[in-house]
Amino acid sequence: MRSGLYNGLLIKLLTMNRETKNTLFTWSVLMISCSLLVIPLPEFLSFFRPPWLSLSVIFFSIMTPAGFGVFTAFFIGLLADVLQGNSFGGNAMALTLIAYISYRFHLQIRVFPMWQMMLSVLLILSLNELLVLWVEGIQNQMIFNYIRWLGILIGALIWPIFMAFLLNLKSKIL
Amino acid sequence: MPLSGETTTRSRGQYSASKLLVSLILSFGLIYLDYKDQYLNKLRSYISATIFPMYVATNAPKNIFLNLKESMGQREKIVLENQRLKTENIVLSSKIQQIYKLQKENRRLHELLDSKPKSEDVFVLAEIIAENPDPFKHRIIINKGSKDNVQINQSVADSKGIIGHIIRDQIFGSEVLLITDPEHAIPIEIARTGLRSIALGTGSYEEIQLSFLAANTDIQKGDILLTSGLGEQYPSGYPVAVIEKIAVLEGEPFLEVLAKPFAKLTNINEVWVIQRAIDQTIDYE
Repeated sequence: MRSGLYNGLLIKLLTMNRETKNTLFTWSVLMISCSLLVIPLPEFLSFFRPPWLSLSVIFFSIMTPAGFGVFTAFFIGLLADVLQGNSFGGNAMALTLIAYISYRFHLQIRVFPMWQMMLSVLLILSLNELLVLWVEGIQNQMIFNYIRWLGILIGALIWPIFMAFLLNLKSKIL
Repeated sequence: MPLSGETTTRSRGQYSASKLLVSLILSFGLIYLDYKDQYLNKLRSYISATIFPMYVATNAPKNIFLNLKESMGQREKIVLENQRLKTENIVLSSKIQQIYKLQKENRRLHELLDSKPKSEDVFVLAEIIAENPDPFKHRIIINKGSKDNVQINQSVADSKGIIGHIIRDQIFGSEVLLITDPEHAIPIEIARTGLRSIALGTGSYEEIQLSFLAANTDIQKGDILLTSGLGEQYPSGYPVAVIEKIAVLEGEPFLEVLAKPFAKLTNINEVWVIQRAIDQTIDYE
């Protein structure tokens, strides 16, 4: 009985069409990066937390834009806002914009050498951080601290590994 | 690598400028509504309730680790702690005996003065399940929400003193803003002199700050700060902090006063949510 159910699920997963699998993959990566945003770390490590969600949004917009879109970025941004306890709509707005911008330049960024790619990721991540800070500033909740930007720098530095890992995973699943 | 041209042409519609515009207008609307008024609280608490398992899951590794650490403690340590708790219990129960007497006396005096005694607060025990990951935001999430009749603006304390108040309701849990958060301010009075002031969070878990106290204010190191009950946010008379440092800055009209919260805000486990029974009078025996 149990093995039958399992086999059925496996067959269903194998015969699932490419698009459904792609959507499933996208959403699971997004959910995992969302949880990585709020997973508790020891205090000294919490300054080095890379912006996982922004990195995944950039990845999907540049590398596999088919299963992703501006609206997806918007919804996942709202979720991140609620999860992080930030002002409603701040992350949503920032992620929407960086998804759009990354897609606009995705053909160029894809063929860049790695260091230029990392530089453009750094720029996009900084834009994201500035937008979030701006929204916090509107609501008088902004706490400016240079240490906040460490995470951004680390995000850009781990980009090559992050990208290679996700591309590899995707080619194995699909 | 899935870098075919086909994927890019297929996806063009999902990144159209019109969709961007719609999302931007939507998010600006949300930001405005969230800032202007709390219209969105209901929506937000529903979304929080649906993703509540995510909080529990992300905090599971830490909680399991802490539990393991606790249960691995040696037997001797536990025996010692048991002894300590027993003596503490005896001391506390003898203090309670005096409290009954004081309460009775208080009621009698109130009767003599023909005034209404203050109503008693109700306490709800809650446990912390998550902390805000942002090191600059001192917020925690506890496991009691509107399901357990815990509401926004109620105060939260641990066994030592006030730790903060509830700012968001998530149905199965609620978010607490700690007194050390830079956005937080709590009306206090100095127990020795009755001087009222406001204590602001500084962003460090170890201190809160009293601003705008004139240089000739009667204040000493070791003075105890209680909630004053002004502003109707916090109930009066709960301990908050103890004055730790007073500095006279030359050329500045005000003192720089720092106080250390009684509650240990870095490792909170169990907390009390204080529910004020405003219109409830105590029945006389």
